Amino acid sequence: MKRTFLGEFEEVVLLVIAGCTEEAYGVTIWERLQQQTGRAITMSAVHATLYRLEEKGYLASELGGATAERGGRRKRFFALTATGSKALLEIQEMRANLWQEIPAGKLQVIIK
Amino acid sequence: MTNNKLPTPPRWPDRLLEWFLSPDMKEDVQGDLHEFYQKRITQVSKRQADKDYWRAALQYLTPYFFSNQSSNHNSTISLSPIMLRNYLKIAWRNLMLRKAYTAINILGLAIGLASCLLIVLFIQHELSYDKYHAKADRTFRMTISGALGGKEIKSAHASVPAGPALAREIPGVEAFTRLYHDGTFIVKNATESFKEERVVFPDSNLFEVFSVPLLKGNPKTVLREPNTMVITETIATKYFGDSDPIGKTLTLGEKDVYRITGVCKDVPSNTHFHYNIFASINGIKLREKWLASGAYTYIVLRDGYSLEKLNAAMPAIVDKYVAPEIQEFLGITLAEFKKRGDAFGFEFQPIKDIHLTSHLDGEIEANSDTKYVYIFSAIALFILLIACINFMNLSTASSANRAKEVGVRKVLGSLQGQLIGQFLSESVLITFMALSVALVIVAIALPYFNDLSGKSFEVSVLIKGMMIPFILTACLFIGLLAGSYPAFFLSAFKPVSVLKGKINAGFKSSWLRSTLVTTQFVVSIGMIISTMVVYRQLNYIQNKKVGFDKEQILVLHDTYVLGQQLNTLKNEIKQLSQVANATMAGYIPAGASNGAADGFELANGSDHPITYRDQTYYIDDDYLPTLGIGLAAGRNFSRNVRSDTAAILINEAAAKEFGFRNPIGQRLTSVGDSPASKRTFTIIGVVKDFHFESIHNRIAPLVMYYGADTYQMAIRVRTSDIPGLLDILEQKWKSHTDNPFSYSFLNDRFNKTYQSEQRTGQLFSVFASLTIIISCLGLFGLAMFTAQQRTKEIGVRKVLGASVMSIIVLMSKDFIRLILIAILIVSPIAWYIMNQWLQDFAYRVELSWWIFAVAGLLAIIVALLTVSFQSIKAALMNPIKSLKSE
Repeated sequence: MKRTFLGEFEEVVLLVIAGCTEEAYGVTIWERLQQQTGRAITMSAVHATLYRLEEKGYLASELGGATAERGGRRKRFFALTATGSKALLEIQEMRANLWQEIPAGKLQVIIK
Repeated sequence: MTNNKLPTPPRWPDRLLEWFLSPDMKEDVQGDLHEFYQKRITQVSKRQADKDYWRAALQYLTPYFFSNQSSNHNSTISLSPIMLRNYLKIAWRNLMLRKAYTAINILGLAIGLASCLLIVLFIQHELSYDKYHAKADRTFRMTISGALGGKEIKSAHASVPAGPALAREIPGVEAFTRLYHDGTFIVKNATESFKEERVVFPDSNLFEVFSVPLLKGNPKTVLREPNTMVITETIATKYFGDSDPIGKTLTLGEKDVYRITGVCKDVPSNTHFHYNIFASINGIKLREKWLASGAYTYIVLRDGYSLEKLNAAMPAIVDKYVAPEIQEFLGITLAEFKKRGDAFGFEFQPIKDIHLTSHLDGEIEANSDTKYVYIFSAIALFILLIACINFMNLSTASSANRAKEVGVRKVLGSLQGQLIGQFLSESVLITFMALSVALVIVAIALPYFNDLSGKSFEVSVLIKGMMIPFILTACLFIGLLAGSYPAFFLSAFKPVSVLKGKINAGFKSSWLRSTLVTTQFVVSIGMIISTMVVYRQLNYIQNKKVGFDKEQILVLHDTYVLGQQLNTLKNEIKQLSQVANATMAGYIPAGASNGAADGFELANGSDHPITYRDQTYYIDDDYLPTLGIGLAAGRNFSRNVRSDTAAILINEAAAKEFGFRNPIGQRLTSVGDSPASKRTFTIIGVVKDFHFESIHNRIAPLVMYYGADTYQMAIRVRTSDIPGLLDILEQKWKSHTDNPFSYSFLNDRFNKTYQSEQRTGQLFSVFASLTIIISCLGLFGLAMFTAQQRTKEIGVRKVLGASVMSIIVLMSKDFIRLILIAILIVSPIAWYIMNQWLQDFAYRVELSWWIFAVAGLLAIIVALLTVSFQSIKAALMNPIKSLKSE
């Protein structure tokens, strides 16, 4: 019924986590985000978004995997929840519908 | 091991985040940052990596990371509402569990707070004098400051023509107003007459200079016409009831009829004058001489015109106006006048300072002193300090009982911060409970306090203006302050040692408790000593031989209204068998009296004689015998010697001042207001010195003229039936006049002169008792805890054969030692301070050692009585009871 809307950045973060083959945590997510978007993103922005998505229920997390270079601190691994996957799929579906409605030839004009 | 080889990121951002980040995010965020740093350092220089690290870390300083508490991660923050509620609940349970302890704490604090509140009210009022006038910052009172014949002249009034002259000559003077005081008046309306003591003749702009609001009438015009007057609300009701007084008339004295043009509010209590009848100065005959004493003169300066400029302009004014008069009266120029050491000038007092700092001749009302503001502030602080110390002592002493609780709490995961929060909330709770008790005490005690302090506060002052926020903040502060030591002390217990049973921490810090108890007794004993000294001095004043016989003398007031019939009345009274003698006593050494001073020169002196300015009395031949003043040499005035109209009596101090070895027959010339009063008198007698002024001053020279002053009559009574005599006198009075009959007794009047000292004495004794009571409450509590803690020890001692007495001694000797130390500390301080206080009196008691001894002894006795209750109880306890349980 009531859908929580995802911001663009939030959507990208979810997609990055969805695309991770290994376990995703702060640093890896941050690096992949920068690679994929080509933007300079601060780590605090990534962390804030991760926590917020977790509050909204799109992500779940658990602690683990302390290493020496982290000063012995554990990582927080993030994974998509069912709600998260559903939200991504819904967005994709909505986008697909929207794409289909674009009359042929129109897009090229706009791009020009 | 590899840890050590890794480069470490800068420490400061780490610490910052440690403090800033919400706890559930700390670990992974910091971990990620460190990881980022380690990667970075392989790519760029260490400096660059450090810089990047700094930047990345600083970006976390947003509210989101600070206060965010996600529902997934539980956290305990010491100040969350839930914890606060819990603190208060636990605090309440703890307080209720130990009722005696709570009661002692609350009672002590409440008494302390109540006294403090009362003192704050008092001080606030003292400091608020004359600050409410719209032009208070620019208004000054002009006073005379000079010297004549080696004696200082400091007079609260200025010359009558001085005000107008300043307004004329100095452009910086915006306005002046004068208050001309001309004694008391019998005031009549159509049917009744009353004696009014607060009548004054002001300039018409009075209500523009002073912000006393007019209820009826125009402030610019009310007093402009001659024979018009403004009265206060109270006077209006007294004479006219509810009807409108405007346009009605009142008669001042015998015949001056004044029309009422305005009604003003009663002059606020925090004003240095409290006149209630203001009659126009226009049409009054004034002494238009600069050298004559004149009227209270107030100057309003223009904005931006400084007092320094005004002072700089004054010498020119003196040159222009005063110099000719000096020439006229003394026959010398101003330069010569100055050369022989005399002086005449004007000074200006800010009106806001008059109440606390001005002590000149002829003040409108007796002023207070900054000294008392300081003394009472100090007392307030001391009382509060003592109450706080009680609280700290009792809390730390009872720490043994709480130590287990602290241990268990810590084991279960309490942080020190939470324990501190808990103890602080306990103390704040106690403070606020004490505050509510204190407010009740203040409400009950306010009437007594008003009596004592001479103020008239109402309970409503407590909720006026900033009082409520002030009181609440102060209480919160006191609560935190008093609770801080126990809170930090108790919360620092090590759980392991506490739970093992090593709860000695409570005793170990006993040196601090001892210091605090000693401080309390330093203050208490200091207060006792001060009280004793003040009372001894008062007693000394009251019993000092004043040089006249103040007992059995009745003074009839306002006898001048009888006019011609006065002599008849006096003779009738003298004839009465109950009366020994009667005299006209307008000048009298105690209470309301006329006052006058004249300049005198030796008649057969040199060409440049010294001018002495001395007080003068006008007396008749019955004066000395009636008042019981003795003669040191010569004779009294006599009705039968014609030449006595040109005779004078002087007192011993005057004889010394003039330098007479044999004063009888010497001649003096008076230098009065007018050339006509330049007369020569022969001295016929020397009276023994008597205190005609306050005992604060040395006895001054006095010259007595022959000539009765009819202002009042003194009657020496020789009967024990005073009411009967008064009835007869009143009948006689009524047969001559309709004016009100009023009288007083000379010794009452004399005692009233020292009212301010008496008040100080009473206030001191009240607050001294309070400090003692609070200290003893604390001591009582301490003794209670010591007795509890040493129950086993006492039990063992008794089993081994200790006597009850030896146990009482054991329990008490620690406290006694503290008091002895306190006596040693306080004695020199109290000696110094009281010595300073006594310097104000020309005649004073010695500070003898036994005062200190008695004060110390008193403190010891009171403390022993307090402690003994507990120690005897402990000593009498059956050892079986105390030893059977473990």
